[in-house]
Amino acid sequence: MAEPARGALADRGATPGRDAPPAPGTPPGPGTPTARTGRWHRLRRDRTLLLMVAPAVGLLLLFTYVPLLWTTVAYLDYDPFTQGLWSSPWVGLDNFTLLFEDSRFWDAFANTLSITFIQLVLFFPVPIALALLLNSVLSDKVRGLVQSILYLPHFFSWVLVITIFQQMLGGAGLLAQQLRAHGHEGFDLMTDPGVFKFLITAQLVWKDAGWGVIVFLAALSAVNQDLYEAAAVDGANRRRRMWHVTLPALRPVVALLLVLRVGDSLTVGFEQILLQRDAVGPGASEVFDTYVWWVGIANTDYGIAAAGGLIKGAFSLVLVLIANKVAHMLGEQGVYRK
Amino acid sequence: MPNSQASASTSPPSRRTFLASTAVAAAAVAGGVPLLTGCSTEEGSGKGGTTSGKELKNLLPAYAASKVADPDIPSVNGSSPGYTKAPPAAELVASVKGKPGHGGSYTMFEPLWGTPPPKNNAYYKAVDDALGATVKFQPQDGNTYGEKLGAVLASGDIADIVMIPLWEMGGRIHGAVSAKFADLGPYLSGDKVKKYPNLAAIPTAAWQMSVFGGKLRGLPMPSRPLGSVIPYYREDIFTKEGYHVPKSPAEFLALAKEITRPKSKVWACDDMWWSAQRFFGCPGEKPYYWIEKNGKLVHKVETENYLEALEWCRKLFAGGHVHPDAVAGKANDALTRFTSGQTLLYNDGEAKWYGATFEQAGVNPDFKIQGMDWFGPDGGAPVIYLDPPAQIWSFLNKNLAKVQIEEILALANFIAAPFGTKEQRLIDYGVEGVHHEMKKGVPVKNATGVRDVQDTYRFIASPQASVAYPDFPRMVEDYCGWMRRMGKFARKPLFYGMQIQEPNRYASLYTPFEDLAKDVTRGRKSIKDAQRAIGDWRSGGGDRLRDWYAGLLDENGSGA
Repeated sequence: MAEPARGALADRGATPGRDAPPAPGTPPGPGTPTARTGRWHRLRRDRTLLLMVAPAVGLLLLFTYVPLLWTTVAYLDYDPFTQGLWSSPWVGLDNFTLLFEDSRFWDAFANTLSITFIQLVLFFPVPIALALLLNSVLSDKVRGLVQSILYLPHFFSWVLVITIFQQMLGGAGLLAQQLRAHGHEGFDLMTDPGVFKFLITAQLVWKDAGWGVIVFLAALSAVNQDLYEAAAVDGANRRRRMWHVTLPALRPVVALLLVLRVGDSLTVGFEQILLQRDAVGPGASEVFDTYVWWVGIANTDYGIAAAGGLIKGAFSLVLVLIANKVAHMLGEQGVYRK
Repeated sequence: MPNSQASASTSPPSRRTFLASTAVAAAAVAGGVPLLTGCSTEEGSGKGGTTSGKELKNLLPAYAASKVADPDIPSVNGSSPGYTKAPPAAELVASVKGKPGHGGSYTMFEPLWGTPPPKNNAYYKAVDDALGATVKFQPQDGNTYGEKLGAVLASGDIADIVMIPLWEMGGRIHGAVSAKFADLGPYLSGDKVKKYPNLAAIPTAAWQMSVFGGKLRGLPMPSRPLGSVIPYYREDIFTKEGYHVPKSPAEFLALAKEITRPKSKVWACDDMWWSAQRFFGCPGEKPYYWIEKNGKLVHKVETENYLEALEWCRKLFAGGHVHPDAVAGKANDALTRFTSGQTLLYNDGEAKWYGATFEQAGVNPDFKIQGMDWFGPDGGAPVIYLDPPAQIWSFLNKNLAKVQIEEILALANFIAAPFGTKEQRLIDYGVEGVHHEMKKGVPVKNATGVRDVQDTYRFIASPQASVAYPDFPRMVEDYCGWMRRMGKFARKPLFYGMQIQEPNRYASLYTPFEDLAKDVTRGRKSIKDAQRAIGDWRSGGGDRLRDWYAGLLDENGSGA
């Protein structure tokens, strides 16, 4: 979505060409029209695109920007039941102080970062690898079948996924019972805080890796087949073709998704973790989102929860800026460019 | 709930002197917390408090017993009366003349533990017709009710009638009750309640628990004593395998070892943390978690009993006697593990005694659930603290007009009719031939009845607690027998029967202990960690909370 909007509104205006035929009557010369007429002209030229983007912008304003006003809750001793937003007492930074003094917050902070890192390393590459594998399958029938099987778990709810894992890998699960039936010791992967972070990553891979393939497959399908032929003619083997043709073609998409993923990275599976919190305890499993949920929704300390949410937002912003910078340094577009 | 308890707890408080010492006052000032100045909670304030003495007496409805049917098992040691026989439909008494409603229509927001019945089902139609008014239910998943409740109360878009249980009144919800719901005092206090005879027959102790923010706001569901946690065991399997019911925590551990056979997919028990607290005589939950020792208030987590219970439960888990799914915290399936024979012991609320019996009657005729007698730490007499006399209320929206409130109270009067009345039969069993059949002289719900006749109207109001399941007379005898035996050991906690709102700033002080208990019993944290957490609790506000309660005790006297 960012791509056409940015292209239409900013860059292309100065270089009318194949994308935007000049409107009749007012040919935009390569000279310099005044800024005002230029802007008016561009608005008129792009009116269809602007109209198309309007609903999305409207929703964004309504559901993202308007609620931002309520972040003031973070500076209030907010009691929606008896006082409401306007009469709850102002407490300045007290909520932040309480937040930083809470050891559970720092546990959540550390867990969030480590889960983010583990998932970035262990989850992010999986759909790319799957896409490459699928792309090399020649039979459309086989490919379709494998794709469907891979997509399917995406549509399961987390409750179901975790129940399946519990039934397979839990202490009374299928594997443990099979081992016992054959005279071995059973095991219980689901209640081991040490492996929890890898367990939830495994769940994520099982559930969503197939779904993540879609974007990469789309990118792969856009690769010009002539390039492969040319490379083959030049004597490049399979590996060389992948290295010099396929991967460079995927690079912009990978960079874009990586930046988006980093920005979203502190959101590490609220429902998934909440459902398994008791199995391993908050020490291993509490993350930003579950912490905010406990403090805000369960304990009704809305002010502190809002403060926690703000901290998370600020942190995410910094991460996005860094990741985007890195993308630029690698010569990619990233999410935006100034 | 016997009324002897009610009258005892509403007696004028004896003014305590031991806490009025200058030491406490000095500590309170040093902590920057002024001692409680009034004995009543201010409406909608976050300061908290309780209501007692004369002020309370003026609010409470007058008690007028209603005798319809004599119980087959009378109350002993405070036990709830039991009914093992059902009067035939022709002998049922009508406690309400005509239709109580005038055609009003009301929404009700309430939890439901089960599959919601279809809308506009025959049961709703029959009851609404008898009521002369319509109740539109908005049933919510009972297990996650608290999460919805906060958001709904904050939104201001509140149903006409809202059920809120005590265990969902954490954080600021308690204060929200005072801010959002109607004062029923003008309709029910003193002799005014006589207009609603079935409400007047609700024990005073339950009404006393219904005073929120200095006003009578709740319609209580009187609870059975000692019902919040019962250690159940599979009597059928115990008999078959020759297991002996344990009589001490040590015997329990030995038996657990004997029972557990993971290879056959059998583990001794589920998570027994709630039972462990009873074995070792721990006080109850907020705000009844204080005991008095040498003139000083001691919190549950500060007692040796608490640490002993933790240690015992840790051993139970460490021995591998607890079902792995219970170790993984899948508490919702505890009953299934028990009924399927994967666990032979488990603890749960009293509702499951009937619930499991009813559910298994058709599927597994041999199934027999039984309550294990409580025992003390060394196998001697246990110390059991009584549960609150009411833990569930319905509240009426404060925006309702006077005539609407009066109509709802008339409906509540109908619904609160006791055992032996036509109204009770309709509410609990639906219509004969549609929802239940008379088999061997007792009503038995059929498939439609099981689907539609659930606790929906029941949460609007209830009569004095009884055990009335004539379809399972053995179960009634078992449960009443257990209550009668255990009643001997029951004692009232310090703030028994008092509806207490803690100040907002202490609202989340106790919350970490729920996680802590899970961590320690499952071996993820040590007893040392627990002791550290208790130290943190003291310095983080626990000591100030103690002073606050001391002030409360000083002002209002004890409920014990």
